Amino acid sequence: MDTPTLISIFFALCGAGILLSLAAPPSRQGNVLAWLGCLASVALVLAGANALLAGKTFSQPLWTLPGLAATLTVKLDSLSAVFIFITGLVLFPASIFAGSAPASGAAGRALAVGRDADGQSNVSESLARSVRREGAPNSSRGGCAPQNRAFTVFMFGLYASIAMVFLAGDVVLFLLAWEAMSILCWLLIVCAREKEIGHAGSGYLLLATGEAGTLAAAMGFLLLAVAAGSLDFGAIKSAASGLSAGLQWAVFLLSFFGFGVKAGLVPMNFWLPRAYVAAPRAFVPVLAGATLNLGLYGILRVNADLMPAAHAGPGLLALVVGTLSALVGMLYATTDNDLKIMLAHSSIENVGIVAAGFGAGMVFVATNHPALAAIAFVAALYHLINHSLYKTLLFFGVGEIEAQTGTRDMDRLGGLSKWTPLTALAFLAGTLSIAALPPFNGFVSEWLTLQTMLRSAELSSTGAKMVFALCGAGLALTAALAVTCFVKVYAMSFLGMRRLDENQKVSEAKSGALAPMAILAALCLAFGVLPTYIIPALDTATNPLAGASAADNLVPPFFASNTAHNSLPPAFVEDFHNLGAQVGQNVLPGRGLVVLHRGGAKNPVVFAMSTSYMIVVLVFLLLLTYVVIRLWLTRSRKLERRLRWDGGVRNLLPEMTYTATGFSNPVRVIFDAVFRPTTVEDTRETVAEHFRTAIIREKERVHLVDKLVFHPIRTAVMWFASCLARMHHGRFNAYAAYALATLLVVLVVFLLFQTS
Amino acid sequence: MSQWVINGIRAGIKTTAYPAKPETAAGVTPGLPVGGDYPANNVNSLISLCPTRVFSDSDGQIIVDRRRCIHCYRCVRGVERPVNWEQSYEWGTVRDGQHEFGQPFERSIHICVVDAGDCGACLNEVKQLNNPYYNMHRLGFFITPTPRHADVLLVVGPVTDHMKFALKKVYDAMPAPKRVVAVGACALTGGVFAESFVCAKGVRDVLPVDVEVPGNPAPPLAILHGLLVATGRKAPAMKDADPTNLHE
Repeated sequence: MDTPTLISIFFALCGAGILLSLAAPPSRQGNVLAWLGCLASVALVLAGANALLAGKTFSQPLWTLPGLAATLTVKLDSLSAVFIFITGLVLFPASIFAGSAPASGAAGRALAVGRDADGQSNVSESLARSVRREGAPNSSRGGCAPQNRAFTVFMFGLYASIAMVFLAGDVVLFLLAWEAMSILCWLLIVCAREKEIGHAGSGYLLLATGEAGTLAAAMGFLLLAVAAGSLDFGAIKSAASGLSAGLQWAVFLLSFFGFGVKAGLVPMNFWLPRAYVAAPRAFVPVLAGATLNLGLYGILRVNADLMPAAHAGPGLLALVVGTLSALVGMLYATTDNDLKIMLAHSSIENVGIVAAGFGAGMVFVATNHPALAAIAFVAALYHLINHSLYKTLLFFGVGEIEAQTGTRDMDRLGGLSKWTPLTALAFLAGTLSIAALPPFNGFVSEWLTLQTMLRSAELSSTGAKMVFALCGAGLALTAALAVTCFVKVYAMSFLGMRRLDENQKVSEAKSGALAPMAILAALCLAFGVLPTYIIPALDTATNPLAGASAADNLVPPFFASNTAHNSLPPAFVEDFHNLGAQVGQNVLPGRGLVVLHRGGAKNPVVFAMSTSYMIVVLVFLLLLTYVVIRLWLTRSRKLERRLRWDGGVRNLLPEMTYTATGFSNPVRVIFDAVFRPTTVEDTRETVAEHFRTAIIREKERVHLVDKLVFHPIRTAVMWFASCLARMHHGRFNAYAAYALATLLVVLVVFLLFQTS
Repeated sequence: MSQWVINGIRAGIKTTAYPAKPETAAGVTPGLPVGGDYPANNVNSLISLCPTRVFSDSDGQIIVDRRRCIHCYRCVRGVERPVNWEQSYEWGTVRDGQHEFGQPFERSIHICVVDAGDCGACLNEVKQLNNPYYNMHRLGFFITPTPRHADVLLVVGPVTDHMKFALKKVYDAMPAPKRVVAVGACALTGGVFAESFVCAKGVRDVLPVDVEVPGNPAPPLAILHGLLVATGRKAPAMKDADPTNLHE
């Protein structure tokens, strides 16, 4: 089947989904969403794969707007195909999950008690924490289908609008689809739980910041369109090189920060944790796995495809902003104990890594290192795909935990793996992936990204080299913190002793929630083991952006049986061919993954690894360890099983064990200068004067970006609104005076212009 | 800083030469009474002098149960005919019938110290082992907080009821082979706390004790000797005729 047909089938299925969900009774909504959503996303995956692997891209003008010289064009090039593919890959399990999960995660209300009235993520770390933990309401585990008709309709609308953003071939269609997507996101957040205090506020915050970003991005697009004299992407692309340096900077800044809002990059990321907390748990995976990609797509489309930067400045800025996002996101992810908020901050981190990769690619394009640029773009796109996969998986897991236990607070969870072994296994795959541990996918993309940073040695400018070095160090720190963070997440939620109430029943997830998790866990593993098959596909997408192919550099024929190939000198290949890595090449799929650093002729350097061999070695080592311990070491010795050492206490209670707060406290202390917690109040409880029973110290942690960006903006907006509100005092006479004054002004203006 | 280094070099090594050479410095040990034949003394008046019943009579011979001595000196000072008093410190004795602890203990050992209701004196002496003068690290002795890594369990205090369970748990948590060293009169016999409504009469009530170090508190050198006995590097002190049954 050719690509346009598949795309048409996708939109037809989305339309059918909307119609069916309008017709179906509320109890069947889940089935409609699961089945049609699955079919639609399969069509999307096939279309993406078709365009990417078979090269069947297309461009189809739809309709010329009367009055505007704009033709709505649907266009699927290889870059769009990557995003279409990954969106389909995420929407497939997400549809199953959303179809089987109740639309409203009412269980989240247990946590809302600890939040500010306007749904902020200010974590009050008080010693009297347990006080507010009392009275956690029971979770709503009853219905297994989204009882909300509007939810299903909006979901299908969102699927279509997301795909349309990627397929848009001109500015008008792009912005229309983008607007539809923004509004549908907002509707999906507010439709499920509109009664809850604070959560409508988060929805509005998402909408408002998203719209502000859209405005900025639209301005950027219009600057480009004016220069090109056309709204078509093709025309814009051919005209963009003629833009002046100032205009290019303006377009970059507008589009980077405009789209950066949707992606959750650092100065404008405050909406993200709030929206994730407020969103129904059937929708959060889509929000994290699919809509964040839109912002990154926008950045890549404008700044790498339509208007490749002529100099290194924009790329370096993107690199720095990306690294800062990664660091800030990871710091807050490590120290937050709410699973959803933690994942939201970790999304900010991952998006930061992708943006840093894009920035590196842009720098390499501008400084004329096309091969390096291709590697950077491939690494970034790979990470983007990985993030979509594992973040969706983790949100499934968190949604399941929340539904089962009624809480997302890691300090209250623990020992869940005993009751939900399969969920725990899938969640473990997700945490290993996101913590960038082999053999899962996060490792491959982070390894590639860091290797790309190292290759900055080939840049000529010392300043750029220093920026790269610092950003590389920042990203390495992020990767290390990520391990800490996700060790904590898994250990505190699934391992250790059970901290939940005895009466709280926890059981294994239903197949409707397990199947999506299993699919994604398998994909995470596949993307981690077989990067050598995925990179050539990504390479077709980044080839037009970088102007060179990365495949020769990343997947060279070193570990193949024949040494002959066209781009590398034979002597060089000869050096590396006989490293022994091609042993077993007929048995194992996938060759080694390599980042070439050629060095000089005398000292060629190659950074290489083979993910497929690695998994074999890992399994072998595991087995070997087992054999050595079981059959050899403990054979001659007596094996005694005693209770674990617990400090000699009479009765180890869960309250005595390590908590999530305690686990991440070192990070909190080390980065105190960044977090800058403000001691809000010291309360002294006294029986009589000089006889204190307790001192309660409330420490309030306000997010860095909230303090520096969000609160000033909020204050300014509120001030402006209060100024305007002075006019709205309700006195009828004054309103009549306004009308009269307006009339007079209009008349005067009219007269003045008529006379002249 | 440089001054500090020079001072250190100038001062030289102050660490005790024990166990290579006997330690002769004054005041390293409170000493213990010596049993034997005291013809000039009235045996019964001597026995009644002692608050912790160290002495007992065996056909006119005074038998000394060193494990009970709290160094009160009532049998030495202010009496007409004092008992003999030895200034030794190699007091570590082993359980009956066991002198060799075997190969795993010949080299470095890790010690888990448990305060089983100690008054603080013995624990303080144990602490002295870590100071530059006694410096037990040179002998390969290390303190570890977790019983999982420990070879030797060093117990001080008479084992109060509240610590009994924890002490058993620590012993259980130690990997075999393991040894127990009891330090101080309280850990050996219950000391002045004896057997009462809050405590047992020594570690023996709870665990099998391998090496016993008397003293109240036991001086650091005696503890060091006890540990050396546990590792088989020093011979255990001669035991008096088994006095345990005499008072039962």
